[in-house]
Amino acid sequence: MPSKPALLGVMQVKELSILLVTIAAGIYFTVTSGAFNSLDNYQTIAQYVAPWSIIAAGQVMLLICGEIDLSAGFVFTLAPFTMMQFFVNGWPLWLALLGAVAVSTLVGVANGLIRTVLGIPSFITTLGMAFLLQGLVLIISNARPVGTPKDSGVLEVFGGARWTEFLWALGVVVVMQVVLSATRFGIHTQATGGNPVGAAESGIPVNRVKVVNFAITSTLAGLAGILQGTRVGSYDPTNGGFTTMFFAVAAAVIGGTALLGGSGTVVGAFLGALLLGIVFDGFNLTGVSANAFNVVLGAAILGAMVLNVTLIVVRKRVGSRERT
Amino acid sequence: MTAETGSTSRRTALKYLGMGGGTVAASALLAACTGVQEAQNGGKSGPFPSTPQWRFVFVNHVTTNSFFVPTRSGLADAAALLGVPEPQWTGSENGNVAQMASAMETAITGKADGIAVALTDDNAFVDLTKRALGAGIPVIAYNASAAGNYPLAYVGQDLYLSGFRMGQRIAQKVTSGDILVGISQPGGNNVQPRLDGITDALKQAAPGVRVQSVNTGAEQAGELNAMTAAYTGNTAAKGIYAVDAGSTAACAKLIADRKLSGKLGSGGFDLLDDTVTGVKDGALDFTIDQSPYLQGFLSVLYLYLFRLSGTLVAPPVTDTGLTFVTKENVGPYATARSRFEGGDNKDVLAMPGSIPLPPPSVLSR
Repeated sequence: MPSKPALLGVMQVKELSILLVTIAAGIYFTVTSGAFNSLDNYQTIAQYVAPWSIIAAGQVMLLICGEIDLSAGFVFTLAPFTMMQFFVNGWPLWLALLGAVAVSTLVGVANGLIRTVLGIPSFITTLGMAFLLQGLVLIISNARPVGTPKDSGVLEVFGGARWTEFLWALGVVVVMQVVLSATRFGIHTQATGGNPVGAAESGIPVNRVKVVNFAITSTLAGLAGILQGTRVGSYDPTNGGFTTMFFAVAAAVIGGTALLGGSGTVVGAFLGALLLGIVFDGFNLTGVSANAFNVVLGAAILGAMVLNVTLIVVRKRVGSRERT
Repeated sequence: MTAETGSTSRRTALKYLGMGGGTVAASALLAACTGVQEAQNGGKSGPFPSTPQWRFVFVNHVTTNSFFVPTRSGLADAAALLGVPEPQWTGSENGNVAQMASAMETAITGKADGIAVALTDDNAFVDLTKRALGAGIPVIAYNASAAGNYPLAYVGQDLYLSGFRMGQRIAQKVTSGDILVGISQPGGNNVQPRLDGITDALKQAAPGVRVQSVNTGAEQAGELNAMTAAYTGNTAAKGIYAVDAGSTAACAKLIADRKLSGKLGSGGFDLLDDTVTGVKDGALDFTIDQSPYLQGFLSVLYLYLFRLSGTLVAPPVTDTGLTFVTKENVGPYATARSRFEGGDNKDVLAMPGSIPLPPPSVLSR
């Protein structure tokens, strides 16, 4: 039967279950709120999803090789202020932007070197870095927000014009998925997390792989910070932080990345972010107030994950039955 | 064999789905509760004609902060009085401006009937306010306002003026030397104007006084540490003051801990428990009440009347207050646990025998 292998192929797609759960959430809100299916609302959802999925694209790589970056949220906060610092000191805006992203990369390199050369666990390394960066942001900004530069063509591309932030997110997700699944570096990353000793013994430069992944995560976080601040119209020292970082990690884990390393996909993390965005936006849209909001949000995440795990079990059962 | 595995998996799946269903049922129940409340508030109130179920949305910067408990009572009371559903209370838990902006955007796309927003940022809400007004949704600023935005009105304390009056009051007691002024977020739209007001008033009224600001941060325990450290480093200070709720409570606690009552000037803002106790025990000379209740109540009232009258009753800019709470009038604050100040007491409160004199009236020319 020709349909059998096709079905088998579909069932083997790792992200199938989380995709179904996301669709279910979409249907739920379509039924409960008239305004859910509108272009304006899709844009709001995209605004939630974009920063989470950009940071998650990096965190997935790090999680896969057995590390985590808790400082990504504050790189996110810092980058716009670094950019403005360069900008007010006379750099052209495009160069200031590039400089800010480069500084973000350096933060990641520093994280990676401290982790690999000194052997300090990434949890502590990046926690320390997180507080350090938070303090730095407060000093640079004097704890007050700064408006985005007006009438800049450069910033129009980086979050200023509608949808650009989300297009960047889609681009990042596609590129990082290709890097992860179709390049030598991606395979090294998976090997590093799946079997560190074996990977090192078979000649994979485990430490270099980790440093590069720290750098990638930090770079993406910096980019995301600039995109979001520009879209909102204000660079604010309260943006980003641990909340944003945890939503990105949550998106990665919801999307099927193992917290202890070895496996995961960037596309899955994107779907995880999409699910979180839909739920966040949807409950706001249906008028849930602040105190009840977290109860509903938490219940929805738990419910979605139970459904997700169930679907994975069903998928595997069906898959193995098809094969026999 | 295969069939058996199949049935097991189906049973497992059903079990898990049942749990998922439970969650859905729970959230449906929550939603249903709100529904019942809405049903109780008819659609008609007093002399006013019956209206659609207007949905107002409050966008806040610290949604779960205890300071805003009276604000939420106020908006709920106004909604119940006017027969509209209780407004949605949303935004960010920790001052995240991007999250507030998204919440406001959701309100616009969700075709809310009115939006009240705390303008804690100068730029982030300008386009959103324009878009809301363009879509026929009235927007009011409450609690914090910003220059260069377009809300129909601001309902909240005039922050600079409150600081200026506080400075004048300080000058009655302290005429020379250093004073310490705690501030939770230097530069913040909702506290910095007060500090500027104090500094300007003292320049006029008591130029010998030097203001030393203390950056206390937003966490309450840290605020006490920062104030204590600043005082330890400058024990010659003639006064300990603050411009935000947490730092004021920290001042009260510091003065009580070091037994400094009466030895130096002290005062601040808002009505946290430690602050009220401090005023009652004489640790603080005064604290300033900005009536968070009215910020919720009046915002709803203004949005309602604006809609009801088809824009004829335009919302007025309202300074919700500059009430100096001192030892003479602190009584009801300390004992009543009133709903108007964040407590749960809904009873009618007794009037005092006499009313202390407010600051003298001034005409602007």
